[in-house]
Amino acid sequence: MLTVLLVDDDPEFTEVACTIIEFLGHEVLTAADLSEARDWLTKESFDHILLDFMLPDGSGVHLFEELDALAKRPKVTLITGHPSVRGIIKGLCGPNIDYLVKPIQREDIEATLSGKKAPAAEKTKGVKKYFGHLIGESAPMRELYKLIERVSRTSANVMLLGESGAGKEVVAAAIHEASESEGPYIATNCGAFSKELIGSELFGHEKGAFTGAVGKKEGVFEQAEGGTLFLDEITEMPIDMQPNLLRVLENKVVIRVGGTKTIPVNCRVVSATNRRMEEIAQSKVLREDIYFRLAVFPITIPPLRNRKEDIPLLATHFIDEFNRDNDTRFTWESSQLDTLTAYDWPGNVRELRHFVHRAAIMSDPDKPAIELPKTIESPFAQKQSTTPALEAGRTIEDVEKELIYATLEKVNGNKTLAADMLGISTKTLYNRLHAYGDLSKDDA
Amino acid sequence: MRNNSGGMSEQHQAELAKWVHDARKPLNRISMQAELVKMALAGDIPVEKATEALDKIIVSTKDCSALLTDMVTAMTDIDRE
Repeated sequence: MLTVLLVDDDPEFTEVACTIIEFLGHEVLTAADLSEARDWLTKESFDHILLDFMLPDGSGVHLFEELDALAKRPKVTLITGHPSVRGIIKGLCGPNIDYLVKPIQREDIEATLSGKKAPAAEKTKGVKKYFGHLIGESAPMRELYKLIERVSRTSANVMLLGESGAGKEVVAAAIHEASESEGPYIATNCGAFSKELIGSELFGHEKGAFTGAVGKKEGVFEQAEGGTLFLDEITEMPIDMQPNLLRVLENKVVIRVGGTKTIPVNCRVVSATNRRMEEIAQSKVLREDIYFRLAVFPITIPPLRNRKEDIPLLATHFIDEFNRDNDTRFTWESSQLDTLTAYDWPGNVRELRHFVHRAAIMSDPDKPAIELPKTIESPFAQKQSTTPALEAGRTIEDVEKELIYATLEKVNGNKTLAADMLGISTKTLYNRLHAYGDLSKDDA
Repeated sequence: MRNNSGGMSEQHQAELAKWVHDARKPLNRISMQAELVKMALAGDIPVEKATEALDKIIVSTKDCSALLTDMVTAMTDIDRE
C-alpha cells in the first residue's frame, strides 16, 4: 500500500481519481494547489505524488526543490494537459520523471502507481544478446551458439542456410564478433549486382578497366582483409562468375578487373542462401567445387516457428528498439505476446520485427498500450500456407472447407461478401457452414 | 499584430493554447467518470454510482461544447481587432 498525494485543482477529477486510487488499495490525500501541497508535505510522508503541471498558484515543477529537501523523496508523476510539455519537463528535470497526459484512464494511474513501466524498461535492457547480436534462449538457438563458438575458433569458411528473414546476416555478424578478428566485417549481396558489376564489387577494378571506371576500386575481398566477408545470396551469383570466385578461394589472391597484379587476401568468407541444401545440389545454381570451398562448416539457422519460445524475447527487444528511437514507452501485455507466439511467422524474425514496428507506429505514442491489428497476415504468408494445401490425396470437400474458412477470415466473417468472393449464393454458404456445424457459433 | 510564417499570430496561438488546455478539463472528467461506470458495471462500486457518473459525463460534454462555442467567439474577436 502506498501513501499518495494528488495535487490537482479540478475537484471532480480528484474525487474520481481518489475513488480509483483507493480501490487500487492505496491511501490518498488531495491538495488543490501548491500551498495546500506544501502544507501536506510538512505533516505527512508520501510514497508517490501525482502533480498537475498547471496549478492556480504556479506550476507543479515549483514543488521539486522542496521535494529534493525531504528526507524521503517521493516518486513524482506529472499530470500534463499537453503531450509537448513532456519534452520541456524532461529538459528541466531529467529523464527520470513519469508523466500522465490528460485525459487520464484508470490503467494509466494503475501503471504509474505500480511502477510497472519502470521494471518493464529494465527487463528490456535485460534481453541478453549472444555474441552482441543474437537473441533467444531456445534449444535450437543454444545449439546454434555452440556451433558459432566452435567455428569462431577456426578460420573455416561458413555457409549459412536458412529461410528468408531467419537472420543470416545477423548470424554472420555474430560469427565475426565471436572470432575477435582484427579486420573489419564487410557484407555484400551477390544477388544485387549485374554480371558486369559483380566482378568489380568482389575483386575491385583498376582505373579505366571499363567505361565508367574513373578511379581504381578495392573489392570486398580486399576490404575485409583480416576480417570477415559476408556474401549474401551466394546462390544468386551468375554461374559464369563462379570460376573467378573459386580461384580466389583456392589461391587466396585476387586480381582486380583490368589489372595484372595479384593481391593476397586473407579473410573468413561467410556465405548465405535461403535455398535448401538438396535444392542447391539439384538446381545447379552453385558449382559443386565452390560449394565445398564455402561450406566447410555449414550452419542451418532455425526458422522462427521452430523456436517459438523466443518470440516474446524478440518482440520485447524490437519494441525496446522502437521506444529508444522514438522516445515512446510501449510495453507488451502478456496476452499480446501469446498472440504473437501463436502465429507461425513464415517471414521469420524479419516479419516479426516489421510487424512489431508497424503495430507501434499505429498505436497512440502517449500511451504504453500497443494496438495489435486483428489479424496477422502477409501476402507471403498466404502464398506459403496455400501451396502445401493443394496436394494430391485431399478430398474436394476438405479443400472446399478450407477455402470457405480462409475467405471468411479475409472478409472478417462477412458472409455476404465471402459468398460473393466464392461465387456461391449466401444460402449455399450458410448450408455449408451449417453442415460443418459452425453456424450456431456465429449466427444463431 | 505580428504574423509568423505559419500565418497565425502569436496572440492567436497563445489564446488557442489556453482554450485547448481548458477543453481538456471536461474531457479528463469524462474519461475518469467513464472509468467509474466501468467499475460499477464490474461490481467494484455500487451501481448507483454509475448513474451519477453518467449524469456528470453529460454535464461535461455540455461544458465542453459551450467552451468550444466561447472559443470560436473569442477567436473571431481577435481577428476583428
